[in-house]
Amino acid sequence: MRTNRKPLYQRKAFIIIMILFLGFVGIQFVRPDVPNPPVTGDLEVPADVKAIVQRACYDCHSNNTNLRWYDKIVPVYWGVASHIKDGRADLNFSEWNKLAPADQKAKLWESINQIISGAMPLPSYTAVHTEAKVSPADLAVLKNYLASMVHNKPADTAAINAADKQYQHWEKNETAIAKLPTAANGIAYIPDYKNWQPISTTERFDNNTLRVIFGNDIAVKAIKENNIHPWPNGAIFAKVAWAQLQDKDGTTHTGEFKQVEYMIKDDKKYASTYGWGWARFKTPKMVPYGGANVLFTNECMNCHKPMAAEDFVFTLPIKH
Amino acid sequence: MKALYSLLAACTLMLAACSDNKPVELYNNKAALPSSPKYNLDGLKVITSFVNKTKGTASTLYGNDLALKAAIEGNKIIAAKEVFTLVTWKQQDDDHWFGAKIPSDVESVEVIKTASSGNNVAVNYEQLEGRNLDLKTDTSGQAERIKYILGQKPSVLP
Repeated sequence: MRTNRKPLYQRKAFIIIMILFLGFVGIQFVRPDVPNPPVTGDLEVPADVKAIVQRACYDCHSNNTNLRWYDKIVPVYWGVASHIKDGRADLNFSEWNKLAPADQKAKLWESINQIISGAMPLPSYTAVHTEAKVSPADLAVLKNYLASMVHNKPADTAAINAADKQYQHWEKNETAIAKLPTAANGIAYIPDYKNWQPISTTERFDNNTLRVIFGNDIAVKAIKENNIHPWPNGAIFAKVAWAQLQDKDGTTHTGEFKQVEYMIKDDKKYASTYGWGWARFKTPKMVPYGGANVLFTNECMNCHKPMAAEDFVFTLPIKH
Repeated sequence: MKALYSLLAACTLMLAACSDNKPVELYNNKAALPSSPKYNLDGLKVITSFVNKTKGTASTLYGNDLALKAAIEGNKIIAAKEVFTLVTWKQQDDDHWFGAKIPSDVESVEVIKTASSGNNVAVNYEQLEGRNLDLKTDTSGQAERIKYILGQKPSVLP
């Protein structure tokens, strides 16, 4: 019997598969480097806490990356390599000593909130690396650890004096600023925020601050008219933070003014930053956060990302 | 064509079932202040805010322009037409941020209004209680509350 089928190596399908295969082998050599630089200062926490953090976070947030064989196959490897690069840039437990103690504390609270919201570890990562998932029991361990670090105590003399000194300057109107400071992304400090309506007050016991969030007229009108999902263009929030100054009887007053932060809604102008313009000004001198580096907005966005369903706004406004 | 539409509808339903469809809460409804003729926050500015960790309450003191100015000067002289309003909420944990507390049910609204009466200035105090803002009829301790509210140092708002 005569067959008119061509030999295997002449068939079209075979040739295409071979080309794809060779291409696949070829791209394996295009490998961005994922070095494991030396550990300069590791996270120091109780062993049970450390075990969870190592298992769930260290593959991307430390210099001890443990790549599985399937992570090393291109194109998966490209994705993994870029995750690790971004992950280490944002938070690297192997260079923990490079952060000031206050920043270390802030990072830990931010991280746990990222875990609670389901933003971290990345769902796309845990889908494959199931062992990185943080169980409710793990989360309880982490929460207990952080809660145990909170201590309420009456303010010391230094804090009281610092607040008094700042108050006296402000009271005499010595803090008025002639030229409005501007953040690297072009957003200038808006002095009028203090005449806006407050939309909520919050206490942050993780970093010992008290906060009042003000909304401009457009924001307040939107709240009244149930038009905040999404917030209308032109809405602006100003969130002011003060250090806590606690009395002996447990009443905690606003101490030193720390910063004012703005979120300015404009879905066109700020399309690349979730439709919001972000800026933070520190101390009564209103020093722009981030200096000349416009990438400071990444920090704002990373933190607010879990609130995407609420138009990136954390605090629920109060109607009145 | 009809079959295609049904299939599409079925797929949409299936996808909807998969997504985490918890209703998005947009307002802090618990802490909402009912609009009431008994007080009005319109046009009032923030003088200060404070929390009581022992009682688990958060308060914000509002005032009109005259009240804010007087507060910054230490309320040494009580002039007419000053309005101070102190709103106190119970606190609740912030579901969006472990490490934060936000206002919960309104506990009280205290209003101080000053008015000239002859050569003097009369200081009127009212306390509204709870969700319904019922007027507190027991007037004992009013002088102390007035002193407390007028003794609050304004927050630095540069």
